Amino acid sequence: MLYNIKKRITFLFKSMDLWLILMLTILISIGIIAIYSSCIKYELQIKYVFMQFIACLLGILAMLLLANLNYQYYKQFDKFVYIVSILLLILVLVFGSYRRGTKGWFNFGPMSFQPVEIAKIMFILVMSSFLDKKANKINELSFLFYVFIIFICHLILIMMQPDFSSTLVYFPVTLLLLFTVGVKKFYLICILIFSTIAIGLPLLKTFLSMYLNFHQNSFFLYKIIFLSINYKIIIYILLLILLIIIWWILNKFKIKFSIIYPIILYIIILLGNISALIIEKSLKTYQKQRLIVFLNPRIDPKGSGYNIIQSKIAIGAGKFFGKGIKNGTQTQLGFIPEQHTDFIFTVIGEESGWIGSQLTLIFYFIFIFRCLVIAKESYDRYGSLIAIGLAAMFLFYVIINIGMVIGIMPVTGIPLLLLSYGGSSMFSSLCAIGILCSIHARRHVYFQYIKY
Amino acid sequence: MWKHKGKGLTYENFLVKYKLITIFVILLFMFISFFLFYMQIVKGNKYAKISENQRIYNEYEYAPRGIIFSRDNVKLAENVYSYALLFYPSKYFNQQNINEYINNINNILNKKIDIHKISCKNNNYPIQIINKLTKKEICKIHKSKKFLNNTLLIKETNRIYNYPKIMSHIIGYISKTNKKDTFLNKNNIMDYIGRGGIEQFYNNYLMGINGSLQIEMDAVRRHMRVLRYRKPKPGNNIYSTIDYKLQNTAYNELKKSSSGKGAIIVLDTKNGAVRVLISYPGFNANKINTKQFIKYFKNKKLPFFNRAIHAHYPPGSIFKIVLMAAALNVLQTDPNEIIYCPGVLKIGNRKYSCCNKISHGNINMISAILKSCNIYFYKLGIKLGINNIEKYAKNFFLDQKTGIDLPNEKNGFIPTPKWKKKNTGTSWFIGDTAIFSIGQGALEVTPIQMACMALTIANKGIYYKPYVVNKITTYNGIEIYKHTNKYYKCVKLSKQNWETINYALIQTIEEGTGIKSKFRNIKIAGKTGTAQNASGKPHAWFISYAPADNPEIALVVLIENGGLGGINAVPIGKKIYEKYFEKR
Repeated sequence: MLYNIKKRITFLFKSMDLWLILMLTILISIGIIAIYSSCIKYELQIKYVFMQFIACLLGILAMLLLANLNYQYYKQFDKFVYIVSILLLILVLVFGSYRRGTKGWFNFGPMSFQPVEIAKIMFILVMSSFLDKKANKINELSFLFYVFIIFICHLILIMMQPDFSSTLVYFPVTLLLLFTVGVKKFYLICILIFSTIAIGLPLLKTFLSMYLNFHQNSFFLYKIIFLSINYKIIIYILLLILLIIIWWILNKFKIKFSIIYPIILYIIILLGNISALIIEKSLKTYQKQRLIVFLNPRIDPKGSGYNIIQSKIAIGAGKFFGKGIKNGTQTQLGFIPEQHTDFIFTVIGEESGWIGSQLTLIFYFIFIFRCLVIAKESYDRYGSLIAIGLAAMFLFYVIINIGMVIGIMPVTGIPLLLLSYGGSSMFSSLCAIGILCSIHARRHVYFQYIKY
Repeated sequence: MWKHKGKGLTYENFLVKYKLITIFVILLFMFISFFLFYMQIVKGNKYAKISENQRIYNEYEYAPRGIIFSRDNVKLAENVYSYALLFYPSKYFNQQNINEYINNINNILNKKIDIHKISCKNNNYPIQIINKLTKKEICKIHKSKKFLNNTLLIKETNRIYNYPKIMSHIIGYISKTNKKDTFLNKNNIMDYIGRGGIEQFYNNYLMGINGSLQIEMDAVRRHMRVLRYRKPKPGNNIYSTIDYKLQNTAYNELKKSSSGKGAIIVLDTKNGAVRVLISYPGFNANKINTKQFIKYFKNKKLPFFNRAIHAHYPPGSIFKIVLMAAALNVLQTDPNEIIYCPGVLKIGNRKYSCCNKISHGNINMISAILKSCNIYFYKLGIKLGINNIEKYAKNFFLDQKTGIDLPNEKNGFIPTPKWKKKNTGTSWFIGDTAIFSIGQGALEVTPIQMACMALTIANKGIYYKPYVVNKITTYNGIEIYKHTNKYYKCVKLSKQNWETINYALIQTIEEGTGIKSKFRNIKIAGKTGTAQNASGKPHAWFISYAPADNPEIALVVLIENGGLGGINAVPIGKKIYEKYFEKR
């Protein structure tokens, strides 16, 4: 037994991806310093830093465990993993507690846990295992249908909480995995069109209504929108005719393809419209406004646009060297709400300036690049797909969060993984890193036979 | 590196996709870091400025204006200090929150502040909730500072005029600055600026340098800490030449005058210091607000109009002194030469008459002055010719500003043949000369010019520039300005001629038109005037100086539309002399 443990530990340290671990420790320490610096009151400082530290310790334990566990077991028990994830999401709907209007938390005394965070990683495991198993049938419609089923079950359960921002990560992860597996580009385009219509239309509507309130005298624009809402059916029929005419003309020029493609495209557009209606009803107005405000924060500078404007000011005011730790006026004087969670990057930007924020960005880049390298060096296809999925998740979080803070992406309430205060996200991202470590450790054939 | 048998994704295909994904990741990160660079380095200064403006608030502590003293060390204008409570509304306040907040303040201070006045629409500026706090209230506020996070106590200075109506025109008043006003000091924007009188003319001396208070506020506009504080530097004190007691009596006398409009000026003949300068009616300088302002502007008696230095009047008979001086010097006229006064004189087609068309019979120059005979001076004027009269009027500086240190002084006007040709197209008639020689027609002077004329005659041709401010000291007593006398020998007559004029003016008081101001022991020299004008009753003039043999003060009384000078203006002059010579 003792020998076993000793062997395991030596194996772990020999096979660890040192770059990944280095970046991880640097980012976590940056995060803890930033959380310490962002809190105004002394009691809160102690509380937040302590809680974050505890979450880190728990996460590192989980990481070590998962790094030891052979990742290929997930492929064998993929149905079980999927059922557990679905059960978690259902249980939270039944027994969970409310926080800011979302029923997404399990309370364990002083600690609380958000199952969505861990469900995301389970989803990636399940999805990659499915893709790996069915890799030879990727261009059949039934394959896409199953993917859609796996995808939509999670999505609906999360939407029921309702937690709009957590669902967002599912789209890029799924898309990137499908792209890697090599689904036909036409299907990918269809999925893209579907999701843009489904999300874009309700946003466009709210944006236009706000915009029209803002510029009330543009009568021409108003008329066009009025027409397009009232004669929807005519527009759909016109679209169908247009698509068929395009297909016919292309056929004439001897670019021949089946008539099924324009028809599928058309059906996708219709489906997109239907789901747009559903999403429009399930979204709350404040969520819609948040998404819209990034287009033009000045529409509502004291309300929804306030966060973006203030965080932009904070980051810009950092200039080259920053104002120094604990000296950031924007954060210390409470101009930025949520400065220790979603807007943690403003603290870094303001207090350590361009140097600090650019370095943080480079650390993140190296981190994600290492994830991709793990995918490349993996022993089997399943490992590669998991690594690609996890890399997509990290990439999405980093780009959307930093983009939101500097005002080029919508405000979505997405945390900056590894930096933001929040036990669940810290724990789950450390779990993800544990899985990555496991993939990396078993990259060579001779490691493969060490099975525990 | 893995190998996969059968269909599906091969490692080679995967590597292609891996490369594409890596390029995509690199592009995304470059995109983000480009924006970071743009925001923090290219636009950094702009954002830094915005963030500074968000947290730093500048409050000015107004510097007290300098104190204005009278000659007898009475404080004419001073400052009263008070504390005011400013309220900073933030975006987190809605109407209900504000109501609670104000109720809280009301409970602490036992006051009733009207909530409806305070709205949270404009977040950017502080609102003054309470003015003029008492000491107890300030203590209470300091004790309960925890609850009053969004407030700030600031010290305010209020200008107080101790004799607002009596001194209104000479001191002026203060009001908030306009966009037009220019400043020496940047801190003094939004400050009060003097308007009219000493307050305006010596504004740069009176204005202190405002203290500044830089405070840091958080997002909810709670007062965090004071970053910088600079004490205000008070303005300089002004010692004016105004004699408060004399001014007071003069004001009261003008109040009782026939028309209730007029001006009195008393000059010190030894140096030109202004002892009294009144224009009646005055205004209450303590209560200048928009409402009052409109009320004053609609008043037909024009209380804002400083008649002593802004108004033009025809001088009437008092101009005869100028004519007399000209005749004595140019024509070498014998003052005892007798001319017959027929009562009515016909020049050309028009008739020119004496007062009430009564013939004075045979009169010489002295009695012509003391009885104010017009016909004598018509004849004298025609004999002298327009050029000589004009020259002597200019010698008495009747066409120039006197240069008194008060704002917006007007100069007088002397008509000339050239001017008439240019403006009316008709040539100069002898009749015009005749009218000119008794101070009527287009000739216009201001009361301060007449005062200077009296001063020149009293000093036998030496003109002193009139002044109001004697010295200016800083708030801690260092003298920075002292008036130096400026005099010109402007009218050159022989000593004998001056004696003749002096004698004639004494006789005017002793026996003539100015008999109502006759004193038992002190000799006064003077001349009355009744100036006909288009606006109604004639203006009553009285210019004089006393004591006649060694003059100390020169006096001008003008009652606008007051009627006869001898009856309406002279008794007022006598009251002022009584007050002046009271002690002797």
